[in-house]
Amino acid sequence: MNLETFQNRVLPAKNKLFRFALRMLGSEDEAKDIIQEVFIRVWNNRAQMDQIQNMEAWCMRITKNLSLDRLRSIQRKGTYPMEEGFDVKHTDATPDVKTELGESMLNVNQLIAALPEKQRQVIYLRDVEGYTYNEICEILELDMNQVKVSLFRARNAVKEKLMKINAYGL
Amino acid sequence: MLMDSKKLEELLKKYWDCESSLEEEEQLRTYFCSNDVPDQWRETAILFRYFDEQKGKSVDPQFENFVVGQIKSTKRVESGKLVKLFYNTMRIAAGVAVLLAAVYFVRQELRSDNAVAVEDTYDDPQRAFEETKRALLMISKGFGNAEQQAKKINMFNEAQEKIQTPTTTDSEL
Repeated sequence: MNLETFQNRVLPAKNKLFRFALRMLGSEDEAKDIIQEVFIRVWNNRAQMDQIQNMEAWCMRITKNLSLDRLRSIQRKGTYPMEEGFDVKHTDATPDVKTELGESMLNVNQLIAALPEKQRQVIYLRDVEGYTYNEICEILELDMNQVKVSLFRARNAVKEKLMKINAYGL
Repeated sequence: MLMDSKKLEELLKKYWDCESSLEEEEQLRTYFCSNDVPDQWRETAILFRYFDEQKGKSVDPQFENFVVGQIKSTKRVESGKLVKLFYNTMRIAAGVAVLLAAVYFVRQELRSDNAVAVEDTYDDPQRAFEETKRALLMISKGFGNAEQQAKKINMFNEAQEKIQTPTTTDSEL
């Protein structure tokens, strides 16, 4: 793989990788740090990269693993509690975003943030990033059944809560 | 984008049951992100708008140049790695050399010990006989000394017997 191929095949995934890392880590600086490491790893192992069919899914998988490692090391050091890293509502609910999204959007944000980690990752990869089931399996290292069950549960949990909000204005 | 409510309901059902394709989900997203959504789907529309909004976040444009710059400088890192590899190899080689030298010297030492043992045998039988005699004499002298010392201990036995004899006679009486 030469620099041109790298720029055409790997670098365009930067925003997706950034969003995924940001979602897991909750800090833009940490997320940038992680994706920089991902790109350097891919470049250093470029000799083997030609055998990989879906480069983007592969990069997403490295991003997930590195982000998890970073979360663990942050947790070990006690820099900030686990919840802040995992919980999306903390990440997104900054005052300027609050006004921009409106109250309803914040409700949705909280619904999704309340989902279990696996379900949240699956619904995010499918409904925000638009990955196929096979790609999600590859990224999250899960089998097809687990992915489909997680997505089904996530969507239905969101649907139920949305219906409640609609009916009772909660 | 216009979509009749029947088709929309159908697509939504497929979506909630996780049976919709990526294209169908894209259709739903496009529909719900448009402005004219009936009130009954207001919350669903918010969900799709939320997904759409999440996709908008991006890393700053300078980041790509930064990564490319980092990658271009990896050649220097690689040469640094080579030097490091060389030093590590040399360290291991030095360790192995010390170990080999130690094994060599220990073996030399063992061999020289054996050599002394071999020198003890005399070629001349007469001399060997005299040496053996001398050694045996030395041992017998040692035994002689030991015997003299042992005799002193024997005094205790004699004394014990002398003490025991009157007591037995007392009991007989």
